[in-house]
Parts: sequence; structure tokens; C-alpha cells
Amino acid sequence: MSFLFTSCAPKERRLKANDRLGWIAAAGEGPLGLYIHIPFCARKCPYCDFNTYARLDPLYEAYTQALCREMGRWAARLDGRTVDTVFLGGGTPTVLSSGQLGRILQQVHERFKLAGGAEISSEANPGIEDQGQFALLRRLGVNRLSMGVQSFQAAELEFLGRIHDAEDALRAYDAALEAGFANINLDFMFGLPRQSVEAWNDSLDIALDLAPRHLSLYSLIVEPETPLAHWVETGQSPAPDDDVAAEMYEVAISRLREAGYEQYEVSNWVQGAGFACRHNLLYWRNQEWIGVGPGAHSHLRYPAGSEGASTGERSFPFGGACEGVTGSDAPAAAVRWSNVKGVQGYIRRVEADESPVSFHEALPAEVSMGETMMLGLRLVREGVPFARFEAMHGQPLRAAFGPSLDRLHDGGLLESDGERVRLTPRGLLVGNRVFSEFVA
Amino acid sequence: MNLDHIRNFCIIAHIDHGKSTLADRLIQHTGTVTDREMKEQLLDSMDLEREKGVTIKASAVRMIYQRQSDGEPPVDYEMNLIDTPGHVDFTYEVKRALQACEGAVLVVDASQGIQAQTVAHLLAAMELDLTIVPVLNKIDLPAAVPDEVAQDIEDLLAVPAADILRISAKDSVNIEEVLQEIVKEVPPPQGNAGEKLQALIFDCHYDPYKGVVAYIRVVNGTLSAPAALLAISSDKRIDPIEIGVLTPAPVKASRLTAGEVGYIATGLKSVQDLDVGDTVTLASDPAAEPLPGYEPMKPMVFAGLYPTDSDSYHDLRDALEKLHLNDGALTFEPETSQALGFGFRLGFLGLFHMEIVQERLEREYDLDIIFTAPSVAYRVVTTSGSEFLLESPADLPDASEIERIEEPWCSLQIYAPSEYIGPILEMVTKRRGRVVNQLWLDTKRVELSFQIPLAEIIVDFYNELKARTRGYASMDYVLQEYHASDMVKLDVLVNGHPVDALSIIIHRENAFYKGQRMVSKMKEIIPRQQFVVPIQAAIGNKVISRANVKAVRKDVLSKCYGGDVTRKRKLLENQKAGKKRMKMVGSVEIPQEAFMTVLSLEDE
Ligand SMILES: Nc1nc2c(ncn2[C@@H]2O[C@H](COP(=O)(O)OP(=O)(O)OP(=O)(O)O)[C@@H](O)[C@H]2O)c(=O)[nH]1
Ligand code: SF4
Ligand SMILES: [Mg+2]
Repeated sequence: MSFLFTSCAPKERRLKANDRLGWIAAAGEGPLGLYIHIPFCARKCPYCDFNTYARLDPLYEAYTQALCREMGRWAARLDGRTVDTVFLGGGTPTVLSSGQLGRILQQVHERFKLAGGAEISSEANPGIEDQGQFALLRRLGVNRLSMGVQSFQAAELEFLGRIHDAEDALRAYDAALEAGFANINLDFMFGLPRQSVEAWNDSLDIALDLAPRHLSLYSLIVEPETPLAHWVETGQSPAPDDDVAAEMYEVAISRLREAGYEQYEVSNWVQGAGFACRHNLLYWRNQEWIGVGPGAHSHLRYPAGSEGASTGERSFPFGGACEGVTGSDAPAAAVRWSNVKGVQGYIRRVEADESPVSFHEALPAEVSMGETMMLGLRLVREGVPFARFEAMHGQPLRAAFGPSLDRLHDGGLLESDGERVRLTPRGLLVGNRVFSEFVA
Repeated sequence: MNLDHIRNFCIIAHIDHGKSTLADRLIQHTGTVTDREMKEQLLDSMDLEREKGVTIKASAVRMIYQRQSDGEPPVDYEMNLIDTPGHVDFTYEVKRALQACEGAVLVVDASQGIQAQTVAHLLAAMELDLTIVPVLNKIDLPAAVPDEVAQDIEDLLAVPAADILRISAKDSVNIEEVLQEIVKEVPPPQGNAGEKLQALIFDCHYDPYKGVVAYIRVVNGTLSAPAALLAISSDKRIDPIEIGVLTPAPVKASRLTAGEVGYIATGLKSVQDLDVGDTVTLASDPAAEPLPGYEPMKPMVFAGLYPTDSDSYHDLRDALEKLHLNDGALTFEPETSQALGFGFRLGFLGLFHMEIVQERLEREYDLDIIFTAPSVAYRVVTTSGSEFLLESPADLPDASEIERIEEPWCSLQIYAPSEYIGPILEMVTKRRGRVVNQLWLDTKRVELSFQIPLAEIIVDFYNELKARTRGYASMDYVLQEYHASDMVKLDVLVNGHPVDALSIIIHRENAFYKGQRMVSKMKEIIPRQQFVVPIQAAIGNKVISRANVKAVRKDVLSKCYGGDVTRKRKLLENQKAGKKRMKMVGSVEIPQEAFMTVLSLEDE
């Protein structure tokens, strides 16, 4: 029984040294990512449903300490297993003081065994004092920076409730270059209410002028229970127009192609080989990662032939029945869990040596295979390679999903080059119809 | 028990006038149920009844009432009470209950006065020569005008206003007097315990352990526990598991004699074996004749019923059979639809009845179902001279074969305060109704009589009437004759395919407007597909309205990272489950709710 399951096994909360989950984590042989969540922002954007909070400055110090502690535990459990990528996300990691950032990254370097040339990314947002922070991040081994620019239009930035203007974004980009970042991503949003295609083109012009290695372009989603959702419900803002968003997406696809970018994922483009985000690739390839911090998710696969890949109780390294558990009867192929979302609750539990986990699910083979498809097909070029699917799930892709593949192929939504299956350009636009074929 | 000490009576009234509450008080007053077991509207045992605060099923209870009278020893009376529903759609239920009784307590709300079902149910009771015990209820209400209402009752019944009991069922005022009055006025049952057994089945329900349970009134003879029985009309042998009385919980009894009300647990597993209205007799010594049964109710409203998941067709049939046992007014026959597959055409007494059937199927039988638009039965006369009743628009022959279509008309009575005459006339004429009579009940209230096509009152008429009169009007209607009418079939075509389950028969004058409404509603409901989907409304080959559902251009989750996988997977799972529930017409996915749209068109 492990310490992980606070919500279902209160008596078992105390950390035990030799837990099964640790064993599974240590036993894995594939690449492993480490996600570090920083749940703080200078101000909460009205469309954002990430687990991040403004005005929690008084908790930064305690949080840094708890986070380092949780990382320390994981480092011990991994027992020397190599970590290939690290992603410092949030939130806005750069709101932390240089001392705090330093301690977090130091903990990463000292406690985990990082692969040679490991990718270490950090998110950042323009509009806060960054020159010093960027330089610090570089010194601490961060080699990829992802910046939330979102738009270069004043009206749009205002609508999005961003704390920065276009100038700030340009300055931040320069600062990042100056600090020595060669691998920089810029995030943009389109399909905003009242946004015109011209305005979108305008932002793209500027972005392409900057020529970052990596671009992420997201269609705005009105997430439930955000201020934006409230504005839309009450008519204070029109809803995003799907057709206009579709046009913007198509415009972006063709303009970026002309500018020499390769679209490697639904919303991600890269210029030049090797600049795709390796950490995010772990997600899309349905591989393994450990997430630390409040609300952070983790995903591990049971080593093939391990005791874990069996039915019933043994598929739960945690034991007991817990909310959020799915597929308890079927053999588990993988396990996913996440920490409590609240920052204070997280700190309290970690400091009390209790498990911060509040949700977990054992993923039966079929569900895991479905996830491999729904995630892998997002990779526009790579798709889902037959060989990798089989190695991962112990059965050929066709055996698992033959009829669905045929149907989607006949419908012109999927294609195959003999090595992989992937979305056609039309399939890309209606990806959900494709993905949903593979889920339960 | 000596027949002289038995009283069989029901409580009748307009909806909400307090029948069930009075039943509660009588049950309590006679000590039939302990205080601990008591709850409001005890006899409304169905969840649905409790939730809606409305009685749907008549239900019986046996009470022992100890009558004290001056200078004499107390006497026990067996009082068999049947509480009845008040809603216009359940008049059938009331009529069956009346047939098992010698008397009826007519409850009138002292604040609302005589209403449509007060009169309708009273007339039904008088037709069967029942003794009427009028009571004025809710005298505790500040708005009560008992003197006025008593006068109205006097005019209606020729009972002196001063003799009418004034009670408050809520506050237990004058409950003993009600029992006294029943004993005094209602005659004891007539039957003869020595004759051959004749017991009338007035209701049934299906119990998973006891099989079909029949509720009976023993008219003649004696029914003793283990004897083999025979249902005369259906010629079905019954070996009862148990017999008993309702208190209101079933309690075993060893015998039921003439005049008494009780139940027989038949053990029959097949629900078609027994009919409400049949007569039970002894297998060894059968009575020659059955008792007069019930006139079968003619359903007024028809609608298609389909399982959302075609695998549950058999469950649906099973559920309908069981429900029918408990709801004799419900009729059903198999039908098929291209769009919806195998299902049934159901007949109902009204729209509220349909709503209740829908909810009972969903709750008591846990089924997911789709109803198509309700319709009345039209009479179609073909050019070859033959004639048939059309219950489903899909069965309408080609226009060239139709000589004429006749639609059912009914007479409609509306009772309302006079200030609402204007709005009522307006809504009735808008629905093709004609005024027949206007009768002043007193200085403030009128009874308006109309002739109106039945089709015009089945959908949402009652709600609109209530809305226009702030709830003060009540109505009753009786089906009359058929009249030739300019009816047309309105089809809805999706991507060029007519969707059979969406066709309706409608008066030509209303077709254009309805067609437009249906098209715009369908446009809202049908999700965007990968291609443009034209939607048209047409009469024959003539398209009267059209619109397009645009094609989806983009439908892809823009973000999916490590923290999103479970949530996004569930989103896709829901999307897929939603799709599974859609029906395919041609290559277009149509959500199930589309088939109900015609129902909701009036709501807006
Ligand atoms: N103030 C007052 N309210 C009463 C009295 N009797 C019944 N009511 C209320 O009137 C409402 C309807 O009572 P029911 O007993 O359900 O009426 P019903 O006639 O059985 O109604 P249906 O079965 O739906 O036809 C309830 O809210 C009762 O509490 C009374 O004497 N005084
Ligand atoms: S900066 Fe990013 S993470 Fe922070 S609130 Fe805004 S959108 Fe959310
Ligand atoms: Mg009632």
C-alpha cells in the first residue's frame, strides 16, 4: 500500500519507503519527463482555467519548500532512473524570486539523474521584471523558453486581460535572446470574439518577423466557470465564431508553411529540426511523466509483463476504492494520478508527510490504447507509428482498431504511409471526430 | 361482516380540491394507520404522484370506523374508500372507481368553487345512481367563500345549502361529521353472500413477487382463501397466492364477502392474462354471467414511442404490457419508422396522460425512450370509397387516393371568472373553435361552451388556458363527431430524405407557420455535419420552408497536454456517446430530441 491515496486510505497516509508505485516508476525504461507546476500568476486571465492563482505571494516561500520536498521524494523513488525532460510550467514560474527559482532548479539538478542534453523548459509571461530572471534561468540550465504573447493587438490583449502590451512582449523576447535562449516558443491565441482575420494576420506578421524557433497557436476555448464563460452567457461578450476561427486556423497553417515552419502538432509549429518540444512529445506519444505541485498529473505505464499488468486490486498500487477510478476490472496498462489542486492543501499535506494525491485512475489496456490514438494522432506528421503502437501495447494497431481505421480512411480523415497512421489535412480540421472513434 | 355495516365510497373532485388530503384525515381519524406511518397524501404512493402533488391512480383503503351514538353501544363500520384523480385526462380512472361504490363524497374547494371536473365527475357518479355526499373543503382559507359555493352546490344538486358539510381537511375540521354523514347517507352494498361468487376487477398492477395483483370488489358470494378461481370473460384460471384487504398496505385475509373490497394476488406472471373490468368467480362453482364490465376508453391522442437504443425494444414491450395492466386507458400497437426503427404507436386520453406514461416508463422501468409528436385520429375516406381511422401520419395514403380527411371535434366547457372571457375567446378562436353557449353561473363566473377540433386542444391548450386566466379557469371536453376538414400532411426533409417520424397532419391554414417553425427548430437542433445539410418542410412536392445547416469547418481540441488527458478523453467519450444516441437518416445524424420538437414548438 502506498502513501499516495489520502482521499481513500486516510490511515495509510504515511509515507512508506518501498511502495509499489515507486517500483513501477523506477522500473520504466522509456523516456521520462518531470513536470513542475508553479501555480502563481501576477494576475488571473479571465479565460484561463489552469490551476493557477494571483496574489498568493505570501505562499511563495512555503510553496518552494514543499515543492522541493515532493521532488526529493520522487527523486528517491525513481532510484536513479534517468529523467529526459523537465518542464517548469504554470502559471508563471518567473513570478518567483530568483532565490526561489534557484532552489527549485538546484533541487532538480542535485536530486534527479538528468539525461545528457536533457531539455529543460520554462514558461514565462511578458510584463513582469524578466531580464534578470531569464539570465538566471539560463544559468540554472534552462534551455528552452515558452512565452505567452497571445496577441500583438492592443484591443485583444485588453480583452484577454493580459498584464502586458505588445511592446512588453517584444522587449521580453529580446531579453530572452539576450539571455542566450536559442530555443524559444511564442504562444498566440486566435478565434477571439470580435477578432478579425486581418488582425490575426497582423499578429502573425509580427510573429513571423521575430522568427522564433517554435510557435504555438491556440484557438480560444470558452472554458466553463471562467469569467469569459460568464461574459458569453450574459451577453457581455459574443461567443467565439467557429467559422472565423476555422478560417484563421487555415490561414495560419498556410502562412506558417510558406514561412518555413513545420506543423508537428495540431497547435504547434517548429522551424528547424530538433526544436519540437521534447517534453510535450512525451505527452503526445503517451509516454511517462511525473508531475509535482498542486493539480499536477502524472502518468506511468506498467512495465510489460509486470505484476501490475493484471486485474483487480493488483492493478492498483494504491489499494482500496478511490473516487475517479475507472476500469477496475480490466487489466491495467497504465496509471494516472493527480495532486490536490489547492496550494495551501498541497503544502499542508506535503509538509505533514502525507500524500498530496487526490485522484487516480488505472487505465485498462483498451483505454490506454485509445489514449495513444487520441494523443498520437495530434502529431500531424509523425502520427501513430505501427511499430511503436505494437511495442507499447503488445498488439498490432490493426488488431486493436482495424474497423475504425478503415472507416476513417474511407471517409478521407486518416491516411497511412505503411509505417504510421496519421490525420489527412481534412482530418486535422475535424480531429475530434477522429479521436472519438478510439475512446470508449 | 354484516352488509349493513359496510360502506363503499369514493372521493371525487376537481383537481387539487383536497381529495387526497381528506382521505388522509379519514385514515387518521379511524386509526387505520399509526401516526408514525402517516404522511401527507398517503394514498399517492407513486413517486410521480408525490413529486407532482397530483393523484394519477385511484387507490383503495379499508378503514374500520367505530361509530359512537348517544345511548347505544358503539358500532364498527367497514369503510372502503377509493381516492380518485382529479385531472381531466383521468376521468376513466374515476369512472372505474365509481363502479365499485355506492356513494361518492364530492369535495369542492370553498375558495375556487365548482370547476369543470366537479361537474364532470359528479355527472358520472349520478349516472351510476351513486349517493352524493357534498363537502365544502378548505374553509380555513382566507379566500374561502363557503356561503356562495354552498349556494352553487345547492343549485347543482338540489341539496339545501345549509346542510352541506363545511370542513378543512388540512386542519382536521369536521372530519368525524364526514364519516357520520357517509354512514347515514350512503346505502350499504346490496350483494348476497350466499350467491355464486362475482367479484369485479377494478384495477390491477404487476408485482414481481406476487405476479398480477387484482383489486376487486366482491359483488355477490364469498371468496375464501385457497379456492381456485376463474376470470369469466377471459376464461382464465387463477390459483391465488393470497387474498386480502388494503389498509392501505396489503394485509392477508382468509375471506372476502359480498360488499367488500380487497385484492387477489394471482401469481400470474403473464400480464396479458387478466383484464380490468373482468369478473372473478369460483372455478368449482362458477357464476353464469360476468358483471357488467367497463366500457373500453377510446384513446384521444396518439404518438409513436421508440427505444433510444434499439436493443431495448423487448424491454419496452414488456414495460408497456405491465403498465397497461395498471393503466387500462393506455393502448399500444407495434409500428416501425425508417428513422427510429421498431417501436409502438400508443394511444392516450390526453397529453398529461402521455406525459405520465413517459415518466413512468422512464422511472419505473428505467427506459430511455423517444416520443414523436402527438396526433389525434383522423378519418380518411379514400377515392375508392373505403374509410379508415388514421392514427399515424405515416399511414396517410397518397393525396391522389384521398377523397377527404375528417377530423374529430369535441365539445369544450370552460369555467372561469367573467373577467377572462375576452382572453379565452381569443385563444379558442385562434384555434379554430366556435362559441356555442355562454352561461352565467353567478355574478362573477361563467361557463363557456365551444366546439373545437380535438387536435387544437391536445397540445398545450390547458397550459395556455391556465396562463391566460392566472390559473382560474378549468375545462372539460367530450369527443363528438368527425367533420371534413382541409388537412394536409406536412413532411420534414433532411438532406432530401423525408423523416417519417417528423411528419404531422395539420390544417392547411396552420401548415405554413408550423413548417417554418419546424425548419428553424431543426436547424438549431441538428448538429453541423461534415457537409451542408438542407432542411425543408413540404406539403406533398411543394416545399414551403427551407434552411441549411452549415458544414463543420473545424472541430479539434486545440490543447491537449499532460494535465488534460483524462478530461479531454472524457469529453471525447461524451461526444461519442452523444453520437451513438443519434439516429441516422440517410447519412445525417439527428439527435433524438429533434423528434420531440413538434411537442415543444408551442412552448415558446
Ligand atoms: N388550506 C387548505 N389546504 C388544503 C386543504 N385540503 C387540501 N389542501 C391543500 O390543497 C392541495 C391539494 O390537495 P390534495 O389533497 O393533493 O388534492 P387532490 O384533490 O387530491 O388533488 P388531485 O389528486 O391532484 O386531483 C394540497 O396542497 C393540500 O395541502 C384544506 O382544507 N385547507
Ligand atoms: S498568465 Fe497564463 S497561466 Fe497565468 S492566468 Fe494568464 S493564461 Fe493563465
Ligand atoms: Mg389526490
